Amino acid sequence: MALSLPSGLVPTEVAFLCEMEMITIVPRQRLESIPMLSGKTPALRPPRRADLPLWLALLLKKQRRANIVPPPWLLPASLQEIVHLETNYDPEAFSPPPPPPMRSDGRGVARPYATTTRSGNEDKELILAPPFLPSCTQDAPSGYLPYHWLEIAETLLAHAADDIPNAPEVRALLRDLQEVRAAKMRASTRHLEGGGGVLNIRGVGAMELAESRGFVLGVVDGVRKLGASAEAGRREELERGDDEDESDDDMGL
Amino acid sequence: MDIDDILREVDPASQSIPAETRDLQALTRAWVSERSSPELLQYVHILPYPPIAPTTPVLTRRFPSVYSWPADGLFERINDRIKQQIERVEEMTGDMDPKTNFALIVIQTELERFKYLVRSYLRARIAKVFEKSIAATADLRARLSETEQAYATRHQALLHNHYLSSFLSAFPPTLQNLNDTAGNISMIETPDLDTAVFIRLLKETLVEGHGTDMDDDMDGKSGDIVILRWSDAKSLVDSGHAEVV
Repeated sequence: MALSLPSGLVPTEVAFLCEMEMITIVPRQRLESIPMLSGKTPALRPPRRADLPLWLALLLKKQRRANIVPPPWLLPASLQEIVHLETNYDPEAFSPPPPPPMRSDGRGVARPYATTTRSGNEDKELILAPPFLPSCTQDAPSGYLPYHWLEIAETLLAHAADDIPNAPEVRALLRDLQEVRAAKMRASTRHLEGGGGVLNIRGVGAMELAESRGFVLGVVDGVRKLGASAEAGRREELERGDDEDESDDDMGL
Repeated sequence: MDIDDILREVDPASQSIPAETRDLQALTRAWVSERSSPELLQYVHILPYPPIAPTTPVLTRRFPSVYSWPADGLFERINDRIKQQIERVEEMTGDMDPKTNFALIVIQTELERFKYLVRSYLRARIAKVFEKSIAATADLRARLSETEQAYATRHQALLHNHYLSSFLSAFPPTLQNLNDTAGNISMIETPDLDTAVFIRLLKETLVEGHGTDMDDDMDGKSGDIVILRWSDAKSLVDSGHAEVV
């Protein structure tokens, strides 16, 4: 077959996506700018920090050409805050995603980083979304989990544990988070049984989605198929109801 | 790099996202959408923007589909760049300077990542062409690129000929077609458009969804992840208010 994977991103593909996230590094060697397909890399001059895609940062890290600066949300204090938020604030919802990054335009106006409009070129507006938002660089806000949090944290712990302060504690906190959130993800299916049309799961992570995609979508589709005849009946009734209203109006009742 | 480039780099007003990054975002989004949506989507490159007079207000312009964001020949551009990059790699392998050697490794790694994206995107599309006999319906044919159309037609012809020579020829002529719709059952397999999908909202918008017991709506904020039926999500995705995840 042309593609033997099921519909929807599988975890390895999510991991591939997360490697496009930008991350801050401290270079240990000079490296000239490299002309890449996704744009030129910044010239690396130790000890000036630079933002690079995660895959490149890991390559440099493995060759001991750079150290990785962990994103602020991966520090123990921030993770503790998020765990607190997840367990005490709302037993059903996930902790909120990071606010959209803003950037000054030099004239005193803060513009969202995500939208890129060039003057006179509005039709080419393209809204950036993860993994292209700078949610894992040193400027990222602490206390918020970005969309690719689990993958980034796992990768960094696996390949750059020496750059993360207090790695064992981070690992323990991440496990707590993972468990709390997995329970929420499972609980969210309770809303799906109700047969509502939309379900908002703001703040969920990419890997959590990939993990439970089959289950959640299976539940939704199963409920839909079971309730198909009831739904058809309800819609028919709605339509008939509208017609009756109109005829009532016509007769002036 | 001359003085203008340096000035542009430090001036925050002109600090927009580089075109290469935007292309990568567009390609990635097209790939994720194609992998996660139940039906075949419009091929990214054959949706040129209608020629727009510069005076037309933005809101009144009709956007054919969200997948036309990169309509200015995204695929051609990326393919050209990949070719150029391969040429560069070939040139660089010539000199054995250890300094350029590392740059070469980086370039080749990135090249492979790009090729993977393009390949996986095309394969996801071909898989859908295989599953659903898309060559049979005009509406779906229009979503294919030229090469994909040729491929789909040929695939369908090969398959039909094979069936004909192996067993269909024993049937009466009226039963030899592969696109019968007699008896309320169509032989043309169509994707289930009510399959649920996950979408991420990119702008604030009202989200409406059909459910079995009731129809819901909610005021969505940008960044919300929503589960709903593809038939409800499609218009949001097409208008650029949301993306499939």
